[in-house]
This record gives sequence, C-alpha cells and structure tokens, in this order.
Amino acid sequence: MRALKQIWRWFDEITGFSKSLGPVLTHPVPRARKSRWFYVFGSATLTAFLIQVVTGIALSSAYVTGSGQAYDSLRFINSFPIGRIVRGIHYFGASAMIILIGLHTIRVYLMGAYKYPRQMNWFTGAGLLLFTLLMAFTGQLLRWDQIGFWTAVVAAEQAGRAPLIGNWLGHFILAGNTAGGATLSRFFAAHVFFIPAMIFLFLAVHLYLVVFNGISEPPKAGRPVDPRTYRGWYHALLEREGIPFWPQAAWRDLLFGTIVVLSVFLLALVVGPPELGKPPDPTIVSASPRPDWYFMWYFALLSLIPKWSERWVIILGPLLFGLFLILVPILGGRGERSPLRRPWSIVIIASVIVMVAHYWAVGIRAPWSPRLDAPPLPVAVVGVTIGPIADGARVFYDKGCEYCHTVSGYGGIRGPDLSGAGDRMSPAQMATRIFSGAENMPSYRGELTAGELNSLLAFLASRHRVQPPKPPVLHTPE
Amino acid sequence: MQDFFFIAFPYIALTLAVCVGLYRYFSHRFTYSSLSSQLLEKRQLFWGSVPWHYGITLILIAHLLPWIFPGAARTVLGNQTRLAVLELTGIALGLYCVFGIAALITRRLPNDSRARAVTSPMDWILLLVLAYQVLSGVGIALFERWGAAWYLSTAVPWLRSLASLRPDAATVTGLPVFIQSHFISGFVVILLFPFTRLVHVFAIPLEYLWRPYQVVIWNRDPQLPQLPVLHQIAASPRPIPLNPSEVQRRQLLTRLGVLVGGISAAIVGIPSLAFLLGLRKVPEVWRSLGAADSFQIGQTVEVSFLDSTPLPWSGVTAKTAAWLRREGPEQFVAFSINCTHLGCPVRWLPNANLFMCPCHGGVFYKDGTVASGPPPKPLATYPVRLRDGMVEILTTPLPITTV
Repeated sequence: MRALKQIWRWFDEITGFSKSLGPVLTHPVPRARKSRWFYVFGSATLTAFLIQVVTGIALSSAYVTGSGQAYDSLRFINSFPIGRIVRGIHYFGASAMIILIGLHTIRVYLMGAYKYPRQMNWFTGAGLLLFTLLMAFTGQLLRWDQIGFWTAVVAAEQAGRAPLIGNWLGHFILAGNTAGGATLSRFFAAHVFFIPAMIFLFLAVHLYLVVFNGISEPPKAGRPVDPRTYRGWYHALLEREGIPFWPQAAWRDLLFGTIVVLSVFLLALVVGPPELGKPPDPTIVSASPRPDWYFMWYFALLSLIPKWSERWVIILGPLLFGLFLILVPILGGRGERSPLRRPWSIVIIASVIVMVAHYWAVGIRAPWSPRLDAPPLPVAVVGVTIGPIADGARVFYDKGCEYCHTVSGYGGIRGPDLSGAGDRMSPAQMATRIFSGAENMPSYRGELTAGELNSLLAFLASRHRVQPPKPPVLHTPE
Repeated sequence: MQDFFFIAFPYIALTLAVCVGLYRYFSHRFTYSSLSSQLLEKRQLFWGSVPWHYGITLILIAHLLPWIFPGAARTVLGNQTRLAVLELTGIALGLYCVFGIAALITRRLPNDSRARAVTSPMDWILLLVLAYQVLSGVGIALFERWGAAWYLSTAVPWLRSLASLRPDAATVTGLPVFIQSHFISGFVVILLFPFTRLVHVFAIPLEYLWRPYQVVIWNRDPQLPQLPVLHQIAASPRPIPLNPSEVQRRQLLTRLGVLVGGISAAIVGIPSLAFLLGLRKVPEVWRSLGAADSFQIGQTVEVSFLDSTPLPWSGVTAKTAAWLRREGPEQFVAFSINCTHLGCPVRWLPNANLFMCPCHGGVFYKDGTVASGPPPKPLATYPVRLRDGMVEILTTPLPITTV
C-alpha cells in the first residue's frame, strides 16, 4: 500500500495530474435540486459508448472484413458462449447509447441548456447524435447476413435520390457497380475507424466545453439568459452555493452508469445477440429486409408518407433535421430557458415522441408489407372442400390475393380485410375492383379465366362476418 | 451553328462568368457593388428599381424551380386552371419588369440627367440586353402561349443536360428563332455578369434581414467574468513584451506554419481521398445464363451470374440475380431483382404473373411495369442477347432510381 502511494506520488510529481486535472474533477457545479437526476443521461451515453469501444475492439479481433467471409466469421464468434455474450453486450450497448443520447438531447433541449454560452456544446452534441445514428446504421449492416446485405442496397438507393449526384453517390456507397466484394470493407472502415474517430474528436471538445462553460443550472421561469451578464451571474451562483462535481454530484452519474452497464450485461446474458439471418447471397430472393429497432420508425415513415412526397422526404427530411439542430441555438441563444416559458419546445418534443412511438408501433406490424409466407386457407375457414367456393379459395391463394388481404385471420393486412366481403359488396362490384385494380392493388385483367373469376367471386360472396342468424329458441315455461 | 449557340456558347458564358467573376472578386473586391446612383436622384429610381427587382426575382425563381424540380413542376402544371393562373401571374410580373426597366432606362436618358453622367457604356449594353430579355419573355408568354408547360420538355432537358455535362441541344434546336433568341440572350446576361454591375447580386447584404435593427456599442468592456475552472490552467505566465520586429517575425512564422501544415495535410489527404473516391471503372461483360432451350416460352425464372470482375474475397456476393423471361423463340427479357422503390429484392409469383416486393408492397406486372404501390418506375432490365444458342446477359451496374 505504501509502495503504491509512493508510486502515485512520483507519478503525480512528474505529470502534475492532481494539480491540473484535480480541479477539473472537483470543480463546483450548481445544485440541481429537484431535477438532479435529469443530469445523468450525458455521462450514461458516454458509458454506453465506452462499452461499445471495448466490446467492439474485442469483436473486431475475430471479425473478417470480407464480403465472402464476414458472415462465416460471425457464425464462428456466435459458436462460443463468450462470443455470444460479447456480441450481445455490443448490441444492447448500441441500443442503450441510442436511447440515452436521445434522452440527453431531449433534456438539454427542454431545459434550454443550449443557450448562451453553451451553443458550441449543443453543436458538438448534435454532431455526436448524428455520428451515433450512423454507427447504428453501419453496425446493423456489419452483421452482413441477408438483411445486412440488403441494408447496403437500400442505403445506396436512398442516397440515389439526392439530386444530380444521386447515381454517383449510390455507387460510391456500394464502392462499385454492385453490392459485392468492396462494399463491406467500406462500411467496416466507416464503422470502426472513421466515425469513432469523429466521435472521439467531438467528445473531447464536448467535454472540454462542459468544464469550460460549466454545467448549466436548472432553469427557472422568469430568469432569462442575458449574454452580457450570464457568466458573471453564473460564477456568483457557483461561489454562493456550488458543490464539487466529484463526489457530491458525480455519484449519481456513477450509480446510473453502473445500472446501465448491468442492464446491458443482463440483457446480453438473458436475451442474447440478434440472430444471424440467411447468408448475404444476392441470389436468395426470398428476403424481407427490415431495419433494427432504432430505424423501424423511419422505415414506417417512408412507407406511409404520400407517394409523391417520398423523393423529397428521403433527402430533405434528414437535411431539415440537421438544419433544425443547427438553428436551435442560433435562433434561441438567449432568453428564457424554462420549458414553462417555452411551450413550443414542449409541443415539439411531445410531437416527436408521439410520432416516433406511433411510427415505431406501426413499423413493427408493417401493414404495407405483403405476407408472402401466408399459408393457403384451411378447410375450416373455406367451409367446403369441393365446388366453386373451394376452387375460389385456391384461386385466392394462387393469384397472391391472400398476401395482402386477410380472410378470417389468415393473410396480409395491406389491403382491406375480406372476411366479410360478401356482406358489403355485390359480385359485380368485386369484379370491377379485381379488374380495375387500385393505387395499391394490381389489376387482374387478363390474368383470370372466366372459370377462375366465377369461383373467386363465389368464394368472396360466401365470406360473411356474421353467421346467418339461427331461428330464435323460445323459452317454454316449465 | 446550333451546337455553338446552345452548347459551346453557354459553357463559354458560364466559364467566363465564373473565372472573371472570381478574378474580379479577388483583385477588385470593392467593385462588387451596384455603384448606387440613388443619391443623385431618388424618385425615378424608386419607380424603376422596385418593380424591376421584385418582378425579376420572382420570374427568375419561376424559371429556376422547374429546372431543378421538373417532376414537381409537371405535377403542378398538369392542371389547366393552375397553368392558366401561373401564366397570367407570369405575364403580370413580366409587364411589371418591363415597366421597371423602362423607367430605369428613361432616368438615364435626358442629357442633363445626373444619372446619365455616371452611366458607363457597359451599363447601356446591360440595360439593353436586359430589356430585350424581358421583352422577348413577355412576347413569348403572349404569342407562344403555355410556355410554362412546354418549357419543361424543351429548355429544361437542355439546361439539365448542360448542368450534368452531357450537353444535348436536341430539344431546343427545333424551336422558333424568336424563342431561341430568348435563350441565347439569357446566356449573354450570364456572360455580362462579371463585366457589369450585375455582380451586385452576389453582394446583397442579406444579413440585413435578420441582424438587429440597432447595434449598441459600449464604451467600455463589460466586466469579464471569471471562468469556472479552466482559468487555473489557462492562467499562463505573463506574456513577454514584444518589440515591433518581433511581432512581424511571429506573424511570419505563424503564416509559414499554417502554410507548411496545409501542404503536409494536402500531401497525405489528397491521395487518401482520391483512393476513397476512386471507384474502379468496372468493365461490362457478357455472361452466359445457359442454353436458350432450357427456358420455356412465357416463363419467368430466376437466373444468377457472376459480376464482371469478382474480387477473390467476394464470396457469395460476387453473384447477381435477375428474373429472366422468355417471351418468344428469340425474345428474352432480364429484369433486375431490385425494386425501383428502395432496392429490395422483388419476388416472382408464377401463378399470379406478378412481381411483388416484400418491403413496401410494390407490385409489377409480368412485363416489369408498375402495377401498384410505391415504386416510381418500371423494373430495370439488363441487356440480353442470344449467341450460338446460349442466352447471355450484360453485367450492368445495380440500377439506382434517381430523381
């Protein structure tokens, strides 16, 4: 013990750490009082990032960056229990990082902590948010199973909508003519070197600014920020009632960070890493690409906006989000910080939360995706085994109707539920719709023989939601 | 001759405008202004300047938007009422401009006009070209009607082809000379840009729009606040007093440092960036898909083939799949499996004769045309040929739907 202390003294004497960094650790911060637990999300995001760095380095020591071998190397990692655990920690650490950086952003925005003099804190934070999302996207891709492969194609297609340079940008992302040998290396370099380097850079500036400008005090309605007096006032506040960051404020960060680490570890242990899909073989066409949960809402958004607006949203949507992040501290760099005096900030955050939650829930159901794996209707649903109705049920399956239309709980939900088609449409109306098609339904003109059409109409006409009423049972007095 | 006017001349005009403009900016920066003559007489300038600037700005935007967003413009103009309203607005704005430029010219005309005294020959040329431009524009609007609509299929493709460096004047060479003269004089205006007062367009003090209307200047510095923590670190030893020659020396050293550092960064950075951007130009080759007889007429089947230059580590991703349809004894079509919406792989439903996309439910007919759902375009096709009884496919790049 004595020896350790001596080594430390020697080390400190030649580095000056306790003189230079000691004050940074114990610098005074404002008392946060009731909102003190809201201040833990930033450090928790950093904790999650460190989890990612450690597990990411471990994973990269076995991952093979080759379009042909990456999938097999992941199967190799997965074949060890410890490999599964590390992959699981990396996956849930990513999820935690996304959630925490989202909470941190919301907290800073609602409390107006981006106002003078902390605008640059916000800009670097916005950069970190962007890089975190890019990490999530490229990380999903590095799984390089079937979905990872198609994610690269979908990314290139989305970039293709950029005006003028779209085609070039799309093929730049693919690193060639097709998604192939060079594609994965490109994403690996981005995920493992480029974006983390940017995160470290922005993080350094972000943390420096947190210390330089001091942690924002909790806002109070009626106490606006005035750039001319703020620094002096803030300094006086610290002198009056500041508490040292370490340990009087930091223990909450420590506790919450530990909870984050434990939760991530437990989830990795209990739930495990995301399963690998089919191999990234472009010739297996029975693929249904889906994003990981963090982009599920965006997947839904692109599916539900009107068709004409899509080309705008794909490019302008992310740009406008970036513009919003840049404009927030420029347009609102002074004045009231309290959300009580900034009702629009509450409206914006509430709208974003409602929108993301809603689109997320819809995205999981994905009602716009046809159910290409729907089984043929069972006899119990069709009701008969021979005759036109049974033939019609077969046509209903063969022609792909069932992929989009539900009958008694079987089939897709893209089109209207046809369980009660016989109740609401005449055969003539049905035939018109089948032949003319619609915005989201192909026309079947020329694809059905007269016999097929007749049996299909017979089948649909036999679909009733309410069973024909039975004759009433009369109660006879005993 | 047409090639000169519609391909060579626009590029010459643009190049000169950019090069001379930059030269003028860096060598004679203070001439980037409109040399205001407002102080010399005010009334007439108001009646000329205001109609001219408001009118021409809106008209320029109206010219520019369909050029950037032709699809949206086509949608907007697809309706007769909207087209008529737009044309009428355009004519009104055009006449507004004509009125403005007429006032701007007449105020310089009288011999005793003080504005005339400061008018250079270049100003007269510019005024005349601009006057011709708006007059011909109004003339087109009146006598070659519905220009807003035909603009989309004549000048827009031509201008876009110029912008994408694949010039093609085919859509404008057949137009009446009167309309063509409007195009040419438009590029004359661009050509005149750096030689005239037009450069003031780039020197508009836009920040006036959002800067505070009043700037309060304090006589003394507001009290500098103490920094919370880092002031202890930042508190450096007292600065060494400097003599003037030392100041110069330090400035020189700083500049040299920036220069040398910049050169070093460029030496390392440029090759790295070039490496990153250097897409290999991949040749397109014909790959055999098998004997023609192995495909039945009227059937669509999945085929796969190897990329033109597969990398040794590509593994399964070196392959590409396509849907091959034999339409007749000699007719084959190969559809890309990538949905034109966002690239997901479409599946062929043989019983329904449809392609269906699992991502967002896009559906295509057997000939690749869109049946329903979000896809904006029919399925892309690969070139296919029949050679010695074998079906061959050309390994073209993955189709990417662009705006």
